[in-house]
Amino acid sequence: MSRLFANGLMKLRRRDFLKAATIATAAMGLPASMVDKVAAAIKSPARPPVIWLHFMECTGCTESLLRTSHPDVATLILDLISLEYHETLMAAAGHQAEENLKRAVEKYRGKFICVVEGGISTKDGGVYCKIGGRTALEILKHVSADASAVVAVGTCAAFGGIQAAAPNPTGAVGVRDIVKDKPIINIPGCPPNGYNILATIAYILTFNKFPELDELNRPKFAYGRRIHDHCERRPHFDEGRFVEQFGDEGHKKGYCLYKVGCKGPVTYANCPTQRFCDVGVWPVAAGHGCIGCTEPNFWDNMIPFYEHVPGVEVPAGQGIVGKAERIGKFAIGAAAAGIAIHAAAGVIKKATTKEKEE
Amino acid sequence: MIVYRRVKVWSVLLRLYHWAFALSIITLFLTGYYIHNPFALGPWEGTPTNFLMAKIRFVHFVAGYVFMAALLTRLYLLFFGNKFERFTDFIIFRPRNLVRLFHTVRAYLYLGEHESHGGHNPLAGTVYLCVLVLSIFMALSGLFMLYPEGGLWASWGVALFGTQQIARLFHYLLFWVYLIFVMIHVYLVVWNDIFGSEGIISSIFSGRKFLKA
Repeated sequence: MSRLFANGLMKLRRRDFLKAATIATAAMGLPASMVDKVAAAIKSPARPPVIWLHFMECTGCTESLLRTSHPDVATLILDLISLEYHETLMAAAGHQAEENLKRAVEKYRGKFICVVEGGISTKDGGVYCKIGGRTALEILKHVSADASAVVAVGTCAAFGGIQAAAPNPTGAVGVRDIVKDKPIINIPGCPPNGYNILATIAYILTFNKFPELDELNRPKFAYGRRIHDHCERRPHFDEGRFVEQFGDEGHKKGYCLYKVGCKGPVTYANCPTQRFCDVGVWPVAAGHGCIGCTEPNFWDNMIPFYEHVPGVEVPAGQGIVGKAERIGKFAIGAAAAGIAIHAAAGVIKKATTKEKEE
Repeated sequence: MIVYRRVKVWSVLLRLYHWAFALSIITLFLTGYYIHNPFALGPWEGTPTNFLMAKIRFVHFVAGYVFMAALLTRLYLLFFGNKFERFTDFIIFRPRNLVRLFHTVRAYLYLGEHESHGGHNPLAGTVYLCVLVLSIFMALSGLFMLYPEGGLWASWGVALFGTQQIARLFHYLLFWVYLIFVMIHVYLVVWNDIFGSEGIISSIFSGRKFLKA
């Protein structure tokens, strides 16, 4: 603990430290008896070196992590790791910063964890995102080649994010499409919950292995269950009580947001249990539906955010976006018209031809 | 005077499949549309609860299992059914069936005589095969949404659809395909009963069709 207090910037009391360790332990789905072990791991002086890369993103993941109302999460994460390179936080700039990156990669070859924030441009050789004269693609390939593992923080790094949304002018992709030979953990979200980042790192330090991951390389303790299945508004769903539009009686009463486009039923994340901002809020609690920000391509698949299912392009790729329901009704109408015409022709035929005796 | 033979065409298993499939699809339509767009709201707070959505979802899932059982039965009969039920009887990749397909289309356009050979005509048979393939996807997308945390279904679901939202969209678009299929199917069956001589509607109850001797 003394190390925590040695740094004048950090005013983390033991009570707060244990609280954060407990929340991280709970996030991992571990029993209370494991808190000591996790706390010990967080306190251990064996700090893994981390190189934190920023590519095409808004820095919102870092910002949301640093600006928690209490310093717990950010302080702990920054204390848990030895941050060798982080463009937002480091004092160095320009050539000095580039030098730092080069030196860190050489010094900790094969040992450091590469954290990536932001998508990577691949079109036209990746020229749409350059740092210090090198493309993001080059930097990621160069740094990840010597990393022990890659952690993709945020939806941009995990799946490409907003710049990968159609028509994806810069050919943006997530880390998983570039780095094929290193273990990857995705912690998607826009932004992801800081405790999920802390818990993932604490898990690796405590058990010296990766947490269990799902098909999309997301830690199962955080992304193993759909938002809908742990939502506090779920009883209203089962009862059939819905918000018809924002601001109506049902909205005031806190009914289910399913009919105003909540994507909770199709989104995996622990938002209902982990919550945000240290004060126990999350979008659905505040009266807005989930927009599905932890899912791949959510900017394409989850829109319109206030509709149940996405629009379908007819014809594909040419832009007239119609709602699936309108298309369905049109097709039904066309089929009904066809049947009517066919039946009318049959009636005319019956009326004009003489019935044969059989 | 034309003489007809009454020929056994559809086995008991196929008739059971047809009605399980039909009734489950009607149930799935009604419950599925409610789940998509819960137009009838549950009781206001303070009144006795009835868990409207939960119950309708339950009925939807039960009907879904009936649907899948019927689907598996038909898939079995495609290979091991009687000669009218096997896929080889009506796939269009046979010269005999191409001729029959031509006759069917001609008859549907009121340009020729209606012919019957016992089983499905190749046009109907091809559509039924497509519906069976779509049904497999319908079942897989449904199972993916029903078991979001189940290892097997989650892996298959992610491999096939990517995300739950795409599975949901797929499930919903197929709903309209089925609706149109059912409409046209019922219409053409009635049409065949009027213009044809097989007794096609009674055949799905009795299993027997009238064929020219």
